[in-house]
Amino acid sequence: MADRFSRQRFLGTDFDRLAADTEVGIVGLCGGGSHVAQQLAHIGVGRFRLFDPDKADETNTGRMVGLSAKDTEYKPLKTDVIARRILEINPAAEVATYPVPWQQASEAMKLCHTVFGCVDRYQPRDELERFCRRYLVPYIDVGMDVHGEGFPYRIAGQVIVSLPGRPCLRCFGFITDERLQEEARRYGDVGGRPQVVWPNGVLASTAVGAFIQLIAPWSEDAPPLYTEYDGNRFRLFPSHRLAPLSHHTCPHYPLADDLGDVNWSSGSEAA
Amino acid sequence: MNCAFRITDRLLEAVHRDLSRPHAFAYERVGHLHCRVGVQAERIVILAEEYRPVADADYLPSDEAGAVIGPAAIRTVLQNAYRRRDAVFHVHRHDHHGVPSFSRLDARENARCVPDFWKTSPAMPHGALVLSFDSATGRVWCPATRSCTDLRDITCIGAQVRRLGGFYG
Repeated sequence: MADRFSRQRFLGTDFDRLAADTEVGIVGLCGGGSHVAQQLAHIGVGRFRLFDPDKADETNTGRMVGLSAKDTEYKPLKTDVIARRILEINPAAEVATYPVPWQQASEAMKLCHTVFGCVDRYQPRDELERFCRRYLVPYIDVGMDVHGEGFPYRIAGQVIVSLPGRPCLRCFGFITDERLQEEARRYGDVGGRPQVVWPNGVLASTAVGAFIQLIAPWSEDAPPLYTEYDGNRFRLFPSHRLAPLSHHTCPHYPLADDLGDVNWSSGSEAA
Repeated sequence: MNCAFRITDRLLEAVHRDLSRPHAFAYERVGHLHCRVGVQAERIVILAEEYRPVADADYLPSDEAGAVIGPAAIRTVLQNAYRRRDAVFHVHRHDHHGVPSFSRLDARENARCVPDFWKTSPAMPHGALVLSFDSATGRVWCPATRSCTDLRDITCIGAQVRRLGGFYG
């Protein structure tokens, strides 16, 4: 008998139950994060932790899936817009919203099976990955940029799957101290960075595909840990940075002596 | 209390490698996982950090159990727990595929031995894990309530995110 998930049986006869018992965190709910949330809801993921301190306005309607023109009249929290969208698709989902900077609610991410980082800057990416490594949470980074001061522009982006022990954003050269310093130097510059809906959609779909391949592989091909996107040539490809790191063990986040809560006393309080 | 357990694929491989080694007279091997903890309100995630096998010389002959470890092994694991102030999980394996379960003897011995870990690491939850070739089942003892509960989610993190057991498994 056909049911809601009958067309995705190839993901495993028990996939629906697995997805329903899977918990994901999504940090940043506009261009990339809104697509990711919507697709995960469609596929049946059951537990969501949504992080974004911002309210949605009409400047977001160009790229935030689930946001209507009517919504923008009252400037709702982005977390509320996406929670509503998820529950419209899957009323059985459990959705917890955190309309604050994720660092203020990071506890809620400790038990996630995967965290999606859909943030604009390097600093929060670095912090998110550090947090995820500490709690053995796979981290999937999604991002895009429009480069150039005038025509012709260049659209580029990436999906990076960061797994404990495997290469991290620093191993890939995606985060460097120089980039962090440059970003800090320019912090506060006015004006939002250009963003458009379709590259966000491509990259969010790629990220969701990589996530599903992680939890319920449908082929023998592991997802590339670093997928680059050339938006001008409409091409996704494994990054050239992967090959030299094929048997690499990450030196930035050693697995021993660096896990869990720093304050051990909290263990006894809650347990 | 909702308790989850996570282990990396590389550490789990190391555990299986050790538990697969034949012993001169014991029918099976045991070891201990030293773990860190993350707390979120009423939920805990236990993060396996290091595996310590029991030395060959520390097994005792037994007709009753597949493996019995002697006082030297117990002293070693208690000393490690004291030094690290971490959570300790006793690990062994039942050699089959599919979801394993603790035998009656396992359950009895776990209930007797696991709370001993509080003698040297009193603030941490401790527990026991039984593996099969592809799955796992676990119980955890929580220090505040002194009660034990099943691990709700046991996940292996690596090139795949594999749910080894718990509620889903």
